[in-house]
Amino acid sequence: MAIATKKLLQDLLEITRANLNGAEQLKKESITSLNWKPAAESWSALECIEHLNRYGDFYIPEITVKIQTSTHKPSEIFKSNWLGTYFSKSVSYNENIKKMKTFPSMNPLHSELDLQTIDKFIDQQHQILALLDQSKDINLDKTKTAISISRFIKLRLGDTFRVVIYHNQRHIKQAEKAIKMSIGKKLHV
Amino acid sequence: MNPISDLIDKINNQKLWDREIVLERNEYLKVKGTIDTNIYLIKSGSLRIFVIDEYEEHTIRFGYKNNLIASLDSFLNEQPSDFYIQALKKTNVNVISKKKYISFIESSPENKELWLSVLENFVLQQMERERDILTSSPVERYKRVLKRSPQLFQEIPNKYIASYLRMTPETLSRIKKS
Repeated sequence: MAIATKKLLQDLLEITRANLNGAEQLKKESITSLNWKPAAESWSALECIEHLNRYGDFYIPEITVKIQTSTHKPSEIFKSNWLGTYFSKSVSYNENIKKMKTFPSMNPLHSELDLQTIDKFIDQQHQILALLDQSKDINLDKTKTAISISRFIKLRLGDTFRVVIYHNQRHIKQAEKAIKMSIGKKLHV
Repeated sequence: MNPISDLIDKINNQKLWDREIVLERNEYLKVKGTIDTNIYLIKSGSLRIFVIDEYEEHTIRFGYKNNLIASLDSFLNEQPSDFYIQALKKTNVNVISKKKYISFIESSPENKELWLSVLENFVLQQMERERDILTSSPVERYKRVLKRSPQLFQEIPNKYIASYLRMTPETLSRIKKS
């Protein structure tokens, strides 16, 4: 995969805008709807968001440091590699979504959650927007970040952004679906 | 006649709008870092333009029904802009792309003239705004803005007006009472 760096960053900003708008809408739902889950082992809307916050807690500081210490000059084209494409595809949203296994530390099931969970997510999105903005001035292929699931693999910054932002999009949509189902159940809210 | 409403009428008559966007309260039309070269007409609702500086939001402008709004920096230079544009209530906007807009402006000397007077008005407003920001007394800042745009106080929640006036919401409500 190769894409103009400017286009990649603009696409990721646009998805983050949509994710932010999704979160702003979730904030208007009742706490009963936000905590409702279709099945005991499925996630509620708030659990979806909490799951994203935990990834944000790892990736946002990691990306921040790597941007600050990067000395590579920006390039017009972002090339990606098979690993980055594989990871970003596997976490992204599509219509016939496959269930994925979650790492235990990232599984929010049965956490105590409230509207602060959404506020934290919104705050993280503003941080991601700022990081995307700063990335105009560095190289997205040559700057590498660690990943949360293995100490032995590094991803190219452009791919790390894709993984984080596509993953956000996936679970925002899952949260929206959970809300829709909760309303379908005519909860006493 | 007001050049902005003339301009809007002409775009309406020629059916140049590309599409309509509906925003719910608090949704973003634009976020920091994007290159947004569109011009928007607010059909209903209200919007604010702001920047975030070290976690603090600074409100720069508001847009109401029948106003044109744009990230004018991106519109002019086609570069990423720091501005956020956010709906303060449910808002409908019409969109026209820069390309279409420029070809409309360039299609007649009259249109060019209209656009020039819109820009001139905008420069005058910006100069007023610059004076606001340089006014050190919060009470004087409040008076200037109240005199210039009483509509602001009818339509916009206090916390955003306070941010626009560069004061805390507490200071603003104290000034309003006195």
